[in-house]
Amino acid sequence: MKKAASTSDPLWFKDAIIYELHVRSFQDSNADGIGDFPGLLTRLDYLRDLGVTCLWLLPFFPSPLRDDGYDIANYVDVNPSYGTLNDFKLFLDAAHQRGMQVLIELVVNHTSDQHPWFQAARRAAPGSTERDFYVWSPDNQRYKEARIIFSDTEKSNWSWDEVAGAYYWHRFFSHQPDLNYDNPAVMEEVLKAMRFWLDLGVDALRMDAIPYIYEREGTNCENLPETHVAIKRMRAAIDEGYSNRVILAEANQWPSDVRPYFGDGDECHMAFHFPLMPRIYMALRQEDRMPITDIMAQTPTIPDGCQWALFLRNHDELTLEMVTADERDYMYYSYSTNPRMRVNVGIRRRLAPLVDNNRRRIELLNCLLLSFPGTPIVYYGDEIGMGDNIYLGDRNGVRTPMQWNSDRNAGFSTAVPAKLYSPVIMDPIWGYQAINVEAQLADPSSLLHWTRNMIALRKLFQVFGRGTLEFLAPANRKVLAYIRHYDSPDGHSETVLCCANLSRFAQPVELDLAHLAGRVPVEMLGYVPFPPITDKPYPLSLAPYSFFWMELQPAQDAPLPPAETQQKDAAQTIMQPLEPSNELA
Amino acid sequence: MTPTSTDIETRQPTRDAAALASEPAAPEPTPLAGDLLICLTPLPPEHLEATLKNLAGEFPEQAAGNGNGGGNIMVAISDAATSDPVPDSPLRLLHYTSSSTALFLTAGDYVNAFKMAQEHNARACILLGPESQSLSPGFVRRVAAALLGPSEAGAGPEADLVLPHYRLGPNNGLVNSAILYPVTRALYRLCPRFPQAIDVGLSLRMAERLATAAQAFTTAGQNDAILWPVAEAAAANWPVAEIDAGPRGLPQPASNDLNALLSEIAGSFFADIEARASVWQRVRFYQPGSASAETPNSAGTLPDVTPMLEAFRVAYVNLQEVWALVLPPQTLLGLKHLSLMAPAAFRMNDELWTRIVYDFILAYRLRTINRGHLLGALTPLYLAWVASHILLAGAGAAPEQHIEDLAATFERDKAYLVSRWRWPDRFNP
Repeated sequence: MKKAASTSDPLWFKDAIIYELHVRSFQDSNADGIGDFPGLLTRLDYLRDLGVTCLWLLPFFPSPLRDDGYDIANYVDVNPSYGTLNDFKLFLDAAHQRGMQVLIELVVNHTSDQHPWFQAARRAAPGSTERDFYVWSPDNQRYKEARIIFSDTEKSNWSWDEVAGAYYWHRFFSHQPDLNYDNPAVMEEVLKAMRFWLDLGVDALRMDAIPYIYEREGTNCENLPETHVAIKRMRAAIDEGYSNRVILAEANQWPSDVRPYFGDGDECHMAFHFPLMPRIYMALRQEDRMPITDIMAQTPTIPDGCQWALFLRNHDELTLEMVTADERDYMYYSYSTNPRMRVNVGIRRRLAPLVDNNRRRIELLNCLLLSFPGTPIVYYGDEIGMGDNIYLGDRNGVRTPMQWNSDRNAGFSTAVPAKLYSPVIMDPIWGYQAINVEAQLADPSSLLHWTRNMIALRKLFQVFGRGTLEFLAPANRKVLAYIRHYDSPDGHSETVLCCANLSRFAQPVELDLAHLAGRVPVEMLGYVPFPPITDKPYPLSLAPYSFFWMELQPAQDAPLPPAETQQKDAAQTIMQPLEPSNELA
Repeated sequence: MTPTSTDIETRQPTRDAAALASEPAAPEPTPLAGDLLICLTPLPPEHLEATLKNLAGEFPEQAAGNGNGGGNIMVAISDAATSDPVPDSPLRLLHYTSSSTALFLTAGDYVNAFKMAQEHNARACILLGPESQSLSPGFVRRVAAALLGPSEAGAGPEADLVLPHYRLGPNNGLVNSAILYPVTRALYRLCPRFPQAIDVGLSLRMAERLATAAQAFTTAGQNDAILWPVAEAAAANWPVAEIDAGPRGLPQPASNDLNALLSEIAGSFFADIEARASVWQRVRFYQPGSASAETPNSAGTLPDVTPMLEAFRVAYVNLQEVWALVLPPQTLLGLKHLSLMAPAAFRMNDELWTRIVYDFILAYRLRTINRGHLLGALTPLYLAWVASHILLAGAGAAPEQHIEDLAATFERDKAYLVSRWRWPDRFNP
């Protein structure tokens, strides 16, 4: 039976705070050392309290797990290690009860080589429908202009299959053969899988590796026109059968190349803004706003019903594909001094280690994430500043168990430690004894509490998810300042000034806000009114890595500054000498 | 090192005829107001004799029986030296024990000089380093005048520290040009072109100050330790003067081990910078140099830079991990670009070299890696700078102008060093 949408707002994704997690890494309920849906269900209250409104689950389907689940062997079931399909349904209902939507993966560029489709294809006669579920060739000379994405492990996009007696095409690992979308049966099967999950009530689908689903000779086999035809068909199937569901495109491309994935509002609702993320780190390191303003200037406008998905870190490496060669080198020099920190064309580290565990830097980056135009995605563990383990292979170093408390296995599992799917982080700085949810919940000044507060603040203002962006250009390039503005259909408007100091030292700045003269900036965290804006440059002093979010209110709406008399009264009350106690006398 | 006070009468020196012919007629010299001690580092006999001759010619009014009221000129020479007594010489020879063979004046030299100056009531002393026989005529006299005054303002001596400005070839003294001069100028706002000069003039109080500083080394048996007089003068806020010294023969190091030499000089320099952080981080005022000696711009035959470039490129491959511990990403990126440049177009820009030096100074202070290894890792970068400088000269640029531009860049970027010093976070651009 088809379940109704969990939300009535078709644009819910614009205001969402997405939390990315791996079921395997989050909570183990049955002491087998592997996280599962029943375990995740027990942690939903934590996620609700954190303020997230959408959970993005990494692949949880049956899989040989040679690529952490992105090698799917069955699209319509749950990996037994994570529970049952019924467990998933219970989890989904529980999430919806808490006001959280659920986004799952639709990995349909490729399957596992263990998928029954591939096993059938390699044995089927050349030219048959079964065989043509995948892309075959008698030699490995076709599509030579396509780059190799996993350059650390793969030497070619073709691999020989003994059984088939032919080469098969794969853009990722050789055990992940690409599906052949020139075969109409493939699209039909994909739509079936998609509908299966949407029928259960899943709110959103992340289309993994979507630029690569078609191959054409003489091209780089990315972003081909046929791809957009296919996406439009999937979108139409969703719009036809469901309401308020969302497709998120994973297209690791330049903004201008990603723009077509929104179509005319008839393809994907959302797409990741991949190039922004490395440039945020670059700007922080260079103490210069240029990398950010530059990439934002290159970012085209998107249809009204669409949204960028923004992130600081995710389950993959910090990808450096969408930067120039010099920028890539700069990033390597800056953030991966140890070669072990690098994988493919990127850096496999978490947020906190990337910024040398500096609290102010973490906060600054989160402030940018939460105030840029788009929907922010928080990677699990980053809300407590979890570390990584660069000595684990591939990208597993950023996929270690969630650190819940200082008990055995970080509270993630009661299994014997050797049984865990991955060792917990145990070193003195990043280990679970030092960094865990329980400790940070008990510490009112912890990063976790700070993150909760900031998320809550962002959720008060729709301008962050839906408003326009206008960069200011103060002379001091260490300061990034921008205006977010939103006119709501109900008639109210919100204008917010965001100002961030990218430097490790205090910085002065003068902002040209003459066009907003008469407004009163009200610092949003403390609700503190600042001097009104005039037609003169507006001076601000920013502490190292500090930021301001200021709502620019019309003068009549601004809160009154604390009256001197009130302050004096309060001081007198505090300083009033105590009457001698008769009892003590 | 013990001074002895054996006075030796020497002959009246005669100036080299060619030198005399080439000089304009000098005005009658003003008598020196006080006794002067001139200390010579050990010299071969023939050089000692020439040096003494030149010195005697510098101070004619002090000749025996002149009776014009000038002070005594005492010359301290190594007691291993032999010199025939010269009748009617204005110089009183003193003997002292010295084992110094260093290229520079060392801690032992300063201690020794002060002891003798004190013992013989000298008001100032001049220390002349190896190859002092090649010093231009009139130089010592001018140094003495600056030390013993009166100054142009008429209120006592002009300076407590007097340094020479040599006119060297464009390819000489490049450690000085690349590091010592620009860093000293930026840090202390004093711009003697040769802050670690081979020769130096000191007031008595300056000599005392340096001797006190030197004792920290000599008592530890480090007589050959290098001292940094400009930093001492800056710390005391005493005036420094610079005198045009003309061309000078340079002492040659015992071995061609550039790595060892650079490590010795830069290590001492960086350690001194560390010790005086509170001084140079508060220096506000700029004291321009007093001499404007022209340095020959003619490059002549340019050295072959191929081995230098090769050393840099090999290091670029092998020392990346070490450099990555010391240098920020922007600099590493600059080095990458440098490693890809064709030899003819090889240029290290001043900003890049400035940052390299500043970050090595900081890494030395922070002990980011073993200090010996750190300084070793600087050598190929220095060679890259030298190659770039030579190629620039070969392309027609005035070498001295390049050095001045470089020094200006160091000055402009001093804030970077100060900020990194105060907040030595690895997380910087």
